Order: sequence, then structure tokens, then C-alpha cells
Amino acid sequence: MFGYFLKRLLLLIPVFLAMSAVVFAIVHLVPGDPIDNMLQIGSSPERRAALTAKFGLDRPLVVQYGVWLGRVFHGDFGDAIVLKQPVATLILTNLPHSLALGGLALLFSTVVGVSIGAAAAFFKDSWFDRSVMGLILAGATIPNFWLGLLLILVFAVELGWFPVSGARSLDALVLPVLTVGLGGVALIARVTRAAMVEVARQDFVMMLHAKGLSRRQIYLGHVLRHALLPVVTILGLKVGWVVGGAVTIEYVFARPGLGSLLISALNQRDYPLVQGCLLMLGVAVMLGTLLGDLAQAAMDPRIRNGLR
Amino acid sequence: MRHFTRIALLTVSALAVSGTALKAQEATFAVTAREVGAPSYNPITGTKLNSANSLIFDRLLLQDADQSFHGALAQSWEQTPDGMQWTFKLKPGVKFHDGEPFNAKVIEWWIPKFAGTENAYMVANIDKVEVVDDLTVRFHMKAPDPNLLFNFASSFMGVPSPKAYDQLGDKFGVTAAIGTGPYKMESFTVGQQTVLTRNDDYTWGSDLSANRGPAKIKKITVREIAEDSTAFLELQTGGVDLLYTVPTDFLPRLKAEKTVKVMMIPGTEIVYMPINVTVEPFTDIKVRAAAAYAINQKAIWQTLYGGVGTPANQFLISSLQESKVDPKFAISYDPARSKKLLDEAGWTMGPDGVRVKNGQKLQVKLWTSNGTEFKRITEAVQAELKDVGFQADITVFDASSINAQYKKKTEHQLAVRSYSWTNADIIDWFFSGKRLGYPNVSMLDDPKAEELNVIAMTKSKTWEERVANFKAYHEYILSQYAFAPIYEPANIFAYSTKRLKLPEAIRGTRLTSQTILDADVTK
Repeated sequence: MFGYFLKRLLLLIPVFLAMSAVVFAIVHLVPGDPIDNMLQIGSSPERRAALTAKFGLDRPLVVQYGVWLGRVFHGDFGDAIVLKQPVATLILTNLPHSLALGGLALLFSTVVGVSIGAAAAFFKDSWFDRSVMGLILAGATIPNFWLGLLLILVFAVELGWFPVSGARSLDALVLPVLTVGLGGVALIARVTRAAMVEVARQDFVMMLHAKGLSRRQIYLGHVLRHALLPVVTILGLKVGWVVGGAVTIEYVFARPGLGSLLISALNQRDYPLVQGCLLMLGVAVMLGTLLGDLAQAAMDPRIRNGLR
Repeated sequence: MRHFTRIALLTVSALAVSGTALKAQEATFAVTAREVGAPSYNPITGTKLNSANSLIFDRLLLQDADQSFHGALAQSWEQTPDGMQWTFKLKPGVKFHDGEPFNAKVIEWWIPKFAGTENAYMVANIDKVEVVDDLTVRFHMKAPDPNLLFNFASSFMGVPSPKAYDQLGDKFGVTAAIGTGPYKMESFTVGQQTVLTRNDDYTWGSDLSANRGPAKIKKITVREIAEDSTAFLELQTGGVDLLYTVPTDFLPRLKAEKTVKVMMIPGTEIVYMPINVTVEPFTDIKVRAAAAYAINQKAIWQTLYGGVGTPANQFLISSLQESKVDPKFAISYDPARSKKLLDEAGWTMGPDGVRVKNGQKLQVKLWTSNGTEFKRITEAVQAELKDVGFQADITVFDASSINAQYKKKTEHQLAVRSYSWTNADIIDWFFSGKRLGYPNVSMLDDPKAEELNVIAMTKSKTWEERVANFKAYHEYILSQYAFAPIYEPANIFAYSTKRLKLPEAIRGTRLTSQTILDADVTK
């Protein structure tokens, strides 16, 4: 198991390097630049040139990339050009908000998704299964921001149960968590159901039936356990989504977080900040995948042996 | 047990009463999209400051809606006839939030702090600051600059406490912001909110407020909400009590709310269509004029904006004296003239309603930025151009990309843009030959315009002279059809009448501290 872990860890290094290059290139190849967002009406063209030089934006892209990557390896993400604060500080102040929203949403979609998926598999092909899966299909196609506005209209404006926006109290988390979480429920329920149906067809399940165990015992005790393997993989991938995937939702609910930070940084072409945010998201996805793989390997010896 | 219950009930109700009493002294304001994410309240180095800035810092001067100047931290001022010296008398008894006194020494410290910052140009013409006495300060100029008054009234000219400023360094405006304003900054979270508490020592309000003493509202929370719909719903549900800016398309919905009062003050923005004078077919001034006369300003103002704001017929906001140009230069809808000009330029009407010359169609690019309002106005412009025989193809860009595209200088032809500024020097910013591509999207580089620019920007000694010089520059730019004026939006804000009481007439160019001093919570 340790050997497997080490191999997976070493594999992350080239992935990280490739990702950093892509992140850097994407940001710089998009037209626009941060200096436009800093210049005051009336400031001179010389001032623009001076600022461009100050932030090293007049140097060749490869050199800029090298400088940036070198700093990143020393844990220095640089200073945001427009926001004029260290990128690391900005990320750290926004991260807890994203973690709270994403973590709770992930928890919500896991618990509800697995329960619904398991119930649907248990009552496979019944009216319950069909209606739940139909509903979920509809749910998965509703755009997030629209669902968010809908929830605001019903629960904040009409019923007045929760605040419309902001992050000033805990109850302000409920609607955003529901909005993000409901999207995840659909995916997790579908994966759980499909995996359980698949597992239920296997020989050992037949044997359990033959042994005289009840359907409930078989499904909850054995089938679900085996079926959780693909669910864990999905959850691993979703860790990255937890950190900053709720971009539109943070915007709609006027919440702080990595998503809102990234959007404003993108609008202002604040290069160091965009790079820092994207790198953070990339690393989160990488680590999430790693966690998912490790959990899978721990649960299923065939996987860790496969890599040898 | 009964006794205990009674005590508990009494305590709870006492708490509730004190809670509402406290709440009654508080208000929540919201700044919307445009102002979200201002990184600090440092007026010297800041390039983006939100509306709460005026509550923390006072400036030497304030401007009324008619652009007239009023003393704030300055009591009176005078200028020598050659424009080379300005003497300012300061208000006595003014103190910063940290107890430090405000006097001539502060000004002597303050002006040099601008050197090397983004805002340096505002005081660039000041050669040196002389402390005449404790409350009198004299500026010796490098060159006459009548615009100094405007600069001193700018929001970037809030005066910070020297002691706190030097102590905090880069952190000034982020962890703390110390000014002389009617409110003290209690806390600030970038992009989220700023909590302000009343400055009880405040007694130096300007003549733009009825109340010169401490503000009536004890505590103000200024929230930042990026999504206009969310901000509107917050106002509707009582999450916020006042919206600093409201997009025009929200007006009908706001007016339908019984407990919301919508107020309008003269605008600070112009929507216009720049024309790239260096790209065919717009190298021909007749074609440029034809495009300009094709825009039906009144129709756009009526149908898209329900008659709110005003149609624009020149480049500057109507409250500026420099906008009062000779009527023969003003550009207003004249389709007959437009068609005649195109005929003269050799563009004949084709069978499909698009004009043709030498086998070439009158097909042009019309660029715009993303955002519902921009798209709608651009579609209207497209239809109006079609009426006289232009086929304008719309491309939508995000704000940063479109600027990068302009910089290529030859890619663009027509665009729909807007700016917000309350000074005639904006003509220099958008039409000076030094700034081709962006911000000079029209690519105007004309010797006569440059000459008028230099006169207007550097040769005016007094305010009157400056107005006359800028008017001449403005008229010349209009005569070159470097752009077509479209619309001048009003400044709109809205508040909940259940929670707030504001004066009937709003003084000033924006909703700033002088109005908030007179604002109160409803009892």
C-alpha cells in the first residue's frame, strides 16, 4: 500500500508542472491586461509604461513564467496587481468560506444522494424508482444560478426564513448549501443506483439470496458496501469542486470565497491572483483525485496491485 | 418558579426593547456591481474607492449638483490673477478620529505623499506648499491649474490622519482608515462589508447639509453586492435599507414597491458611439457624420429608458458648463441629413436596404461590452444605422478584452461605450493624440485638436478661461464626428421609507456624506 501511495505521489509532480504552465498560459493569452484597470483618467502614457515595467509585464512570457514558478516553489504567490495584497493572504481569507459552503454541500449531496440512490436500487423499476430518477434527471439539468435565485425567491423573499445574501450569519449558508448540494445529489444518486444494480447481478449476491438472507440485509449490508467504490471516486473528484466550484453560487448569494475572488480577478485581469486561484483549484482537484484513488485502493486490493 | 419565569420574561423583553432601540439607530447600505471589490480606503494610493469613502474622509472642497464648489475642510480660498498661487483658509476645530488636529501642517505633509502614486497627476502642478499660519496654507504652482478646485473635491482627495498613515504604511485603509469624516471605520472586509460608527465629535459639516453636527444614524453597515438582482431583493426584504446605485432597468420594479423611494440626481455618465476615423469607410467625414446623425437619441431615451435621464447631444454631461456648446455643433437625430450625406459620399442604396459603393457594401463592425443594458442599446443603434443604409454587425466582448482589441487600432470601426466623469478634461482622455487605440478609441490625431487640447489642458489661468478653452476643444471634436452621442443616464438610488428618511433635495454630484448627515432612521 505504501509503495502505491509513493508512486501516486511522484506522479503528481509532472502533473503539477503541466498544470502550472497551462494556468499561466491561459491567463496571459486571453486579451486584456491589469494595467487598464489601475490607470486613472488623466494619467499619462508614460505612467502606463512604468507600471507595466514595475510588474514585469514587459518581459517575455517564458521569463515571466519562470519567475512566477520559482516564487511558487518558495511558497510565494506574489502580490495581486489590482488588489495590491499578497495573493496568499487573499486566498487564505476567502478559503474558509468556500470550504464551509463546499464541504457542507458535499456532505449534503453524499448523504442524500447515497440514500436516494440506494432506495431507488432497492425498489428498482418500481414507480418509486422511476419517479425519483426522473426528478433527479430534471434536477441535474437545472442551472445552478437559476435554482439559487428560485430558492431565494421562495425561502428568502416570500417566506422570509433565510437572508437573501451575504455571509454574516450561519443561516445565510442554508440556501447556498442547498443550491450547490442539490446539483450533487443527482450525480451521486445516479452513480449509487447504477453501481448497486450492477453489483446486485453478481454471483455472490445470488449466493447470499440462496443462503436465505433478507433482501434488506443483502442490499444494505453487502451490495451498498461494494457499490460505494465508484461513489468514492466521484467524491474524490468533487473535492476540487468543493474548494471553488460554487463560483456562480457565491456570486448570486454575494458570498466571499475563492469563486468570487477568481471572478473579480478575471474581470480585472489581475494575473497573479488568477494564477494563484487557479493553481489552488488545480491542486485541490489533484489531491482530491489522489484521496479518491487511495480510498479506492484501500477498499479494493485489485487496484493497488494493478499499478505494480 | 413563577417568580423566575417573570424575571426571565422581563429580561427577555428588556433585551428585545434595547435590541430594537439599538437597531433603530442603525442602517445598512449597499454598493452595487461597479463599486464592489475596492481593495482599500487609502485615498492617496487608491484607484478604486467605494461610496463609503466619503463617510470616513472629508475633503477640502465639495461640489454641488450644479458643479459649484463649497468649502468642507477649507473655509475659503483665493487665487492670484496669474494663477500661480492659491491660498486656502482651513476650518478651525477639526480633529481626526484618532484625536490628532487637522491644520496647515497636515496639508504640508499630505500633498507630497501623492508623488509616485496613481493619483500624482492631481497635484502635479503644485510646486510647493507653504504653511502661512496654523489654519492658512498657500500652494505655489509650477503652472496655473484652475482644475485644482475640482481635484480637491475629488473622492481621492480625502485627507487621512498623518500619524496613522505613517504608522500603518501599506495597511492604511485596509486594517484601519482614519479621517475627519462623520463616520469612523470599525471594520472592513474587502468585497464584503464595511462597518462604520458615528463620529460623535463631528461639528464641521459643509453648507450642503442642513445638519452640520454629528450624523443622526449611529451605525452604518455598507455591504458590497455584485449581482443587481440580489441587491434589489435585499432592499425588498429589508436586508439593506439603501442602494447607492440602481440600474435603470430596475426602475419599474422599484417603483412598484410601496415602501421604496427612488431618487434621481443629475447623471455623471454618457453613453456614446466612438467612430474609428482611421478605418474605411469612416476616413470620409461625411460617412462619420451620416452615422452620427442616424442615431435617434430621443427614441432610445424614451423606449429603452422610459424617459429617465436625458438624450445626449454632445460629449459632456449636461451639468458641466463646457457642455453648453453652440447648437450648430450639437449632434441630434437627422435621418434626412444622414441619407443626403451618404448619397454625397457616393454610397447608393442597394436593393436589400444596404448601401453600396464600387461594388462594396456599407457593412461595418459594431462592438459592445457584455451586460444586458449595453446589448440592448447596441441593438437599437444597429436598427437605426440600418434605417439609413448601414449594415452593422454586432460583436460582444468582455470589458478587458475589448480594450485589448481597441489597442490593435485597426480592428474596430464603431462601438457602444460609456464613461462616468464630471470634468471636461475627459475630452483629453478620449481624444488626445497621445492615447491612440485605447482610451482614444476614435483614433483622432488631428493637429487642430492637439493645439486646442494643449490650450485647454495647460494654458488656462482661471476657471472661466478653462471653461472657454474646453468648450472650443469640445466643439472642434464634435465638428470632426469622432463619435455619436447617445444617452445620459440619471444617477438613481433607492431606499426603504420604512427604515430611512432622507432630505427631499439631494445636494452634490453623488450620494455622499453631505446627504447622509441629514439622513435619519424612521421612528
